[in-house]
Amino acid sequence: MHRSTTRQQYGDEAMTDTSTNVDSPDLDSCVRIGSIVSSNSHLDYVAEVYKERDCDRPPELHEREFGQPVFIKKTVDGTEHAVMGVIYDTQLVDPDQGRTGPRLAQDNQAQFTPGYIEERTTLAGVALLGTAEIAEDRGIQEPTHQMPRWTLEVEDTVFQCPDQVTVSFHTVDDQIQLAYMDRLLDIAGDLGSEVIVALIDRLRGMLPEDDPNQRVLDVVEQNVQWQAREQRGMV
Amino acid sequence: MADRSDVVGTVAGPGDDPNEFVFVTPSDKSIKTGEFITYTVPVEGEPRSVFARVTKRELIRGLPEGFLADPEVGPETVAATLGVPTDDTELYRLTATVIGYYDTNMTTFANPRQLPDPGTPLSIAPHQQLETVLPNLGCETDSTDVTTLDGVAHIGWLLNRPAEATNLHIPIEKFASTHLAILASTGSGKSYTASVLIEEMMRPSSRASLLVFDPHGEYDTLAEMQGEEAFQGADGYEPNIEYYDPERLRVRISELEIGDVMAILDNPSNRMQERLSTAWRAMQRQESRTWGIDELIAEMERIYGDDDASVGALEWRLRRSIERNDLFHPEDNVPLGEIVDPGQCTVLQMDTLDRWDQQLITTVLLRRMYRERLDDVRDRDSDIEHPIFALFEEGHRFAPASGDAPSLGIMRTITSEGRKFGFGLGIISQRPSKIDEDVLSQCGTQISMQIQNPTDQDAIKNSVEAAGEDVLRELPGLTPGQAVVSGDAMNTPALIQVRRRHTEHGAGSRPVIEEWREAYEERQREPTGSEAADFGEGDSTGVQSLD
Ligand SMILES: Nc1ncnc2c1ncn2[C@@H]1O[C@H](COP(=O)(O)OP(=O)(O)O)[C@@H](O)[C@H]1O
Ligand SMILES: [Mg+2]
Repeated sequence: MHRSTTRQQYGDEAMTDTSTNVDSPDLDSCVRIGSIVSSNSHLDYVAEVYKERDCDRPPELHEREFGQPVFIKKTVDGTEHAVMGVIYDTQLVDPDQGRTGPRLAQDNQAQFTPGYIEERTTLAGVALLGTAEIAEDRGIQEPTHQMPRWTLEVEDTVFQCPDQVTVSFHTVDDQIQLAYMDRLLDIAGDLGSEVIVALIDRLRGMLPEDDPNQRVLDVVEQNVQWQAREQRGMV
Repeated sequence: MADRSDVVGTVAGPGDDPNEFVFVTPSDKSIKTGEFITYTVPVEGEPRSVFARVTKRELIRGLPEGFLADPEVGPETVAATLGVPTDDTELYRLTATVIGYYDTNMTTFANPRQLPDPGTPLSIAPHQQLETVLPNLGCETDSTDVTTLDGVAHIGWLLNRPAEATNLHIPIEKFASTHLAILASTGSGKSYTASVLIEEMMRPSSRASLLVFDPHGEYDTLAEMQGEEAFQGADGYEPNIEYYDPERLRVRISELEIGDVMAILDNPSNRMQERLSTAWRAMQRQESRTWGIDELIAEMERIYGDDDASVGALEWRLRRSIERNDLFHPEDNVPLGEIVDPGQCTVLQMDTLDRWDQQLITTVLLRRMYRERLDDVRDRDSDIEHPIFALFEEGHRFAPASGDAPSLGIMRTITSEGRKFGFGLGIISQRPSKIDEDVLSQCGTQISMQIQNPTDQDAIKNSVEAAGEDVLRELPGLTPGQAVVSGDAMNTPALIQVRRRHTEHGAGSRPVIEEWREAYEERQREPTGSEAADFGEGDSTGVQSLD
């Protein structure tokens, strides 16, 4: 019940506000969304969304909405990498309502297990999608949708991913890619198809209208939607 | 562990039918239905290659059909987008029917009565082995160089294999003695295939005695065999191709039977029939075999008096239908010694004769030849002292299911008895359902080609028991030159591509467009001038006068 309210709310925001995003390929000047507080698995992390007190410029609602691509910087073996992810779920926590707040997660479902939280706060579920190297011009290169091998750490900063970087990450040899799809479906559970559709929507908006990849995205979206309906027993 | 380099699949388990098993192959081993595969089983302690025919092929693992949603977006693009690997994804489940292992004593297939165990490796059957065991060649090993055998006809190669990879040589003796049927829609390659067989039969190694009843003039090009090196024997043999045009086709009147005459005459009354039969029998009892209508009428007048009304009516009919028809003659008869000879193929060109005449000449010739063959086999004097094979285009015309042809009786006799007397028939037809069932079911070897009409397909299914359902299912989809060969000449049916002829094919459809254009150009070349002007004036005055 709570979940559906959340979804509705963010869905509406997404419609009105995405267009105001200022594109910046510079990974160093991206909006900070929050910091990692825990993880449910190797690919499934929980971030606490920044508030006024945490940083100069906390994210606006539409900058941390459902389906927002994000990245976390990691230096591995002397090379700076961006670990790419997406916000696939959110949760409100009110310590006054008992430590753990309302439980949203369902049976057999990846679930938030917030750590020690003292005040009302918003948690975001971040699913990892892949990695890329951070280039000299502070854009990304060598994107891969293979499963990231590295672990994030508590307090790692989660950044909002600029559109241009999102497109680069999804483009391999001029061909649009969402090769992480089955993993993401797995992590995001019931919201899996929704988050993929949200990602596809974003990509569609970022690509030129006559880009041949538009039609590929259509087919992929159809497949995801259809699969989701089948799973829900609608067809 | 056996060498698995030539393994194309692995047995998964038994299939639905007792003779069926199911196996799995990856996509790169593309095995088509109809392909022959083998596996090894011990039979009485010895390893034997068992052959099986692939009957069904289904995809069990492949890209989801949802990837095909947009015709302009290739499924492999969608797959690439989702990081799904596209090579090696597909896995096929195939069903195969066991044919058996080649029993070298029986020289045919024997059923091992045991399906391969799951996990048994399967290979594509080797070319030479198939060439040896598929046709009924009676080889004593399961791998022989069949090109060295005498009396075989190289008809083509397995359709599922590359051109000329696995060749099919069928034993001429088998199809020539127990009769042959070539059945297919018009334009599927019946005459072409028949010509290929004729070429093979006329080679120095066979030197057949052939007769072609050609109602459409489709066999005019066979003469090209003469002078061709491929057809010349070391001993100076060369096939002799004889053409008999209607000028030379004669039926001696005394060869007709009373039933034939009744059929020729237009609806004679009972009284006429009775008088004619009596007189006809009397004439046939005479010593002379060279009497004509005059003699016959004289005989009737002798019996019934010269003012009998029925005799008068008969005279008029006999003169019109027999005497005035050049086909019939009191004395002349097609000399059998001229039309049948070893190493000779005689083409009876009947294209200018009407259907009745075609049937009559055929009836009389078949009867005479059958009689001679009978005499020969029974050690009596005979004009034909060697086996003969006669091919009929439009076979349903000579042995119609409707029974409406004088030739039907002798056709039935020859197809049921002819094998004993060295008289084989080849029935070619585009309407198998219109062929007399007895005749069709006696054709021991069948070459079936593309055929759509369901009634005709059924006729083939009913008469061609040797070819299983799975092979006959292919018939509607065949293209010209592709055929299913089944029956006595084969140990198991095979789907083949008929080879190209050495001689030109003479039975193409007319080049209509070309002929129109030529005719038009011809007209343009005609002197224009006063005539053309006249036409114009004529037209306009015509119109004016109408007003
Ligand atoms: N084995 C073959 N190889 C090549 N072409 C063939 C073969 N069989 C048939 N054809 C083609 O098909 C056409 C029709 O064949 P034809 O024997 O005249 O048909 P049908 O006698 O069944 O009406 C031929 O003119 C030829 O072009
Ligand atoms: Mg023909």
